[in-house]
Parts: sequence; C-alpha cells; structure tokens
Amino acid sequence: MFENNDQLLPPLPAVVTEPTLEHMLRHFEVEQFLIEEAALLDQGKFQDWLALFAEDVRYWMPIRRTMTTKDTARQFTRPGQMAFIDDDHAMLAMRVRRLKTGYAWAEDPPSRVRRLVTNIRITAATEDEIEVHSNFYTHRVRLEKEEDTWVGHRQDRLRRVDGALKIRQRAIFIESTVLQSPNLSNFF
Amino acid sequence: MEPKAKNRFVDYLNIDDHTVDRVIFSGDELYKTEQKKIFARGWNFMCHESQIPKPGDFFLNYIGEESVIATRDRTGKLQVFLNSCRHRGNAVCRAEMGNARAFLCTYHGWTYGLDGKLTGVPGFRELYQEKINRDEWGLIPAGKVQSYRGFVFATMDPEAPDLEEYLGDVGRTGLNFIASQGDMVVVEGVQKNRLECNWKIVVDNTFDWYHAQISHASAFMSGAFPRSLPDDTANELLHPFGSKQQRVLFGDYGHAISGPRLTDAVWDGLQRIAARDESIVPSPVMNSLLWRLDPRAGEELGEIGTRSLGHPHIFPNLFVSTITNQVALRLPKGPNETELWWFTFVNKDWPDEVKAGAISLATRVFGPAGMLEQDDGENWEMSTSGTRGLIAREYPLNYQMDAETTNLTVPEVGAPYIDTLVNEHAQLWTYRAWADWMSAESWEELKQNHATPQDVFKSA
Repeated sequence: MFENNDQLLPPLPAVVTEPTLEHMLRHFEVEQFLIEEAALLDQGKFQDWLALFAEDVRYWMPIRRTMTTKDTARQFTRPGQMAFIDDDHAMLAMRVRRLKTGYAWAEDPPSRVRRLVTNIRITAATEDEIEVHSNFYTHRVRLEKEEDTWVGHRQDRLRRVDGALKIRQRAIFIESTVLQSPNLSNFF
Repeated sequence: MEPKAKNRFVDYLNIDDHTVDRVIFSGDELYKTEQKKIFARGWNFMCHESQIPKPGDFFLNYIGEESVIATRDRTGKLQVFLNSCRHRGNAVCRAEMGNARAFLCTYHGWTYGLDGKLTGVPGFRELYQEKINRDEWGLIPAGKVQSYRGFVFATMDPEAPDLEEYLGDVGRTGLNFIASQGDMVVVEGVQKNRLECNWKIVVDNTFDWYHAQISHASAFMSGAFPRSLPDDTANELLHPFGSKQQRVLFGDYGHAISGPRLTDAVWDGLQRIAARDESIVPSPVMNSLLWRLDPRAGEELGEIGTRSLGHPHIFPNLFVSTITNQVALRLPKGPNETELWWFTFVNKDWPDEVKAGAISLATRVFGPAGMLEQDDGENWEMSTSGTRGLIAREYPLNYQMDAETTNLTVPEVGAPYIDTLVNEHAQLWTYRAWADWMSAESWEELKQNHATPQDVFKSA
C-alpha cells in the first residue's frame, strides 16, 4: 500500500530471488553496481556517474502528499503531473555541467555528502533488464553547520548494454512531503 | 532582543536615503506583529478552485502560521476555517488534501460540517445535558472568503475590502497573466520546501532583476535557457546593465509588478513563430509567451500587461511567475523560517504535448531542484543570518539603485509606474507598504493612511 506502483515503463516479468548461484551472482552484480554508483557521487565524480545512465533515461522524483489511508494510492504525483525532478539525459547532463561552472553556489564550497544504499531487492527481470528497489539515506553537510537528510526508496530499471549495466530509469520516492532542505542540488 | 525599537514602523525605513533597517528581517517582536497586522488582516492565497471542484474537497493552507482548511460546503460555497477544534484546539484535518464528509477531531470526536457548524459532540445528552450551544462552537471561520477568476483568497478580518478592490489594477493584472490564458487549472502536485530565512527576503527577490547574472550564472552557463532570438527579452535578465526596458507598476497596499518589457524585436519574433516561420527555433520561454498574441488576452491585460515580463507580487506573500505559469506562496514559519509552495497551471484544453512542455519548463526552472532556484536558497538564508547580529543591525541595507529616478508617471487610468533601468523601487514600495500595514490599527486606518507612489517616488 505504501509503495508506489506507477509504472513509467512496461512491467518486466516478476522474479523472486532464490539462493541459487545464478540468482546470487545477479544480486551481487546489481548490489556492487549501486554501491559503486553511490561511491562516485560521494566522491564528486559526477561525469563518471553520468556515464552510468542510458541515453533514454528518465530520472524522476515525484511529489509526495500527506493523505489519509483511503487516499494513499494518490500520495505520490504520477508521471505527467508535477514532480520535484523529471529529467531526461540532456537535463541530467546539464545538472552535471552546472556543478563544474564554478558558479553553482548551492554546491560551492562543495557539500560533504554520504549515501547509504541498502535493502536491495530485485523484483523483476528479463535477460537484458532488471528492476531493482533500494532504500537510501542521504546525508549532506555543508559550510559550518548546514545539514540535510533525505530518506526514501528508489525503483531502478537497469539495462545491460554491451555487457555493462546502465540505468534506464530511476524513480525516487521520498518520505518527506514538505522537503526540509533549502534545495535539491545533489543527486540521488 | 530588538536594540533599535523605533517609535513608528516607517522609521525602520529611510526612504530619502533608500535604506532599510536590518532588524525587520529577523526581529522577534516585529514578526509577531506581522502575524497579527499583516497576515490575519490581509487577503491570503488559499488555493485555486480547480483544486477543490466538488463539495467536501479540501486543501490545507496557512494564514500566517495558523493552519486553515479551504473547502467547499454542500451548496458548493467556498469556506475557510481555522484547523482547530473548539474543545481542546486539536487539528480537525490532518491530510493536506482530499475529500471529507465532515471534519472529525481525533481527540474526543467533536465533529464539524463542511460549513464549519458543530454537528457532533459525543455525550451531548449524557455528559453535557444538552446545555452547550452548538451554534456558538463551530469552527472559527475566515472573515471573508472570495475568489478572483478561480484564485481563492481568505482574510480573517471581516472589515477588509472585497478581494477585487484589494487586488486593484496591479493585483488583478498579476493574476490575469495566468487567468487570461483560458480555462486554467492547477496541475496535481504542489512543491513544498522549507528555508531558514525570513519571508520578506524571498518577497524582496521577486523584484530583483539584478541578482540573476550572479546568483543564476551556473544555469545560464550550462545552457538552461536556449534563445530563439539574439535579443530574446526573456534573457534580458542576463544583461541587467544594458536593459532600459524595465517597468515598475505600483498598487495600493503593496502590490507591484516589476521587470522587463517585451521588446519590439521579440514581439516580432513571437509573431513569426505563430506564423510558423521556420527560420526561428522557438525556445520553451518563447513558446510560453505565444498566447499573448491573442487579441482577447490583449484586451484583458491592456498594453502594459501584454508587453510586461515583470514579476507580479500580491502583498503580502504571493509571487506570480508569468513565464512558468506558476504562483509561489512564501509562508512565514517563524522570523527565520519560510516555506515555499509552488502551484503550477495549465490550460485544460491545451493538447497533451503543450501541457507536458509547460509542466517540464516549470519543473526545470523553479522548485527546490529548479535550475534557477537551487542557487537562491543559501543566499536568502545567509542574508537572513546577516540581519541577526547586534553589530550588523547598526548598519542598514542598501536600496539605492536608480535612487535618483524622476520617472514616476501617474496616468489618469491605471496604475502609477516608472519606466527605467534595473532598479529596487518595487522592494522599497513593498517595505513602505509593510510599514503602513504595521502602523495601522484597523482596515479603516490602513485605507486612510497608506502611502501613494507619489509619497515615495519623484515625477519629472
């Protein structure tokens, strides 16, 4: 009930990860991919991070609303409605370029950000595509005492391109309805 | 602590010297007075009628710091109440939006109808012996609730002038920038985030066409605003030094519109885009202006409105973003805390791809992740910090840009205005109105004693 079931892309066949070598290898590969991705961001290697996204990526953070139990299906805005972020590859690349201009004040001096990515679950897959859910806890510290925390859940569609995994879609579902941060100048 | 308590609120401003006392951006006592004399007394934006089309639909908002429910009763009438039970004060509505048959207090079960009447008191017979008068203990209603072309406002003060009169030419023109585009509706999803800054610092920025070249340099450098034409007026904000195309319109009670005007070259460019001239690749901003060619829009906005790209502000805290078809509320949450709420509009009858383009532009420009807005927040927070120090408060802030202007024009019909360079006149006008609101003890006094543009600016 509290997960968002909006599908931006057509669904993949559901899978349940079993303790077989094949499933364990797939899980290990996906987990390492997400951990390495978070490390690139923590290290501020934004150009390398951008290279992990497919050219047709959609990177989307809907708005969440405080609603009663009967309306929980409506708590997140849907694709095509307003969002905090709704980026294609060109827009993500623009955000990365922005950080390198020397004039991106929200991140200059650079923030210190640490991302914890956990509870990784593969829920659907084909030969070429994998649907993976993860929880995130992102903590940003900047200047003397500015601190922001974002907690939420991501639903990623990974695609294998020339043997390497790329992010085809990232949906970011945050627990906040009123963001307690002055901006969203970082990546999730 | 307020080291420089002044005798009169206007003494916090030095109009002749074009300076403003820093304490107005962080003084605790001044903030409390604002809650009573500005927010409780003024017309506060609640929501758009398209957000609450049916009886029982509700949207939670605030008047000052106080939670209010905006809803429609069984008869379809707009209603606004304090979101507070009359028994122990608990909230009677906790969802930020939805549809309700009644408002139930979750503490003891007092229940209120959509018209605010107390309809249910558990133990009314057994415990109260039917002796409380339920007619006297309904939800606390707004003094007035009215809507202008779908924009719903409320004031707690029943003595307030009616909304249309309050908005005046300038406030109405500000809302017409959105309403004149047809059957406009709010897109699902209001972006909300909190900043550690004073609400007036954000209002001040509404009229600030000086900051973009530095504050938003990263957005321009990374290509956020492609141009259709070499002198795209929408990009005048890149070149505030060159622009002689600024116009400031002044409205009673502190409303203002300030910013660039569409040049003839851009107007010509718009006409060429409308005629599908393939030598121009229309930018998203140019596309967002095409509706102004419609003769009906021209009639509703007049020459001044049609050619204005200025930012309208409806006192005390509603910014109308004309390029992105949004309104932004700046809700006070304490002297040093403000929430920003962005409402985005599209025309119900636009083709899907036009709606998608408008939503995309709004998402990418403003809001906490917007290419422009990302870099504003920290400036506003640190500006507010810079008004707290007891030493710093000995030194006022500078609003001397274009201070010597003698360009005030007072037409026989319509709002007084100044045509000039990039300037800080609308900010000064806002603070002058702030002082009037803070000084007046009643609406009657405010109506009689508010400043005119002639009191503040010089004519040739």
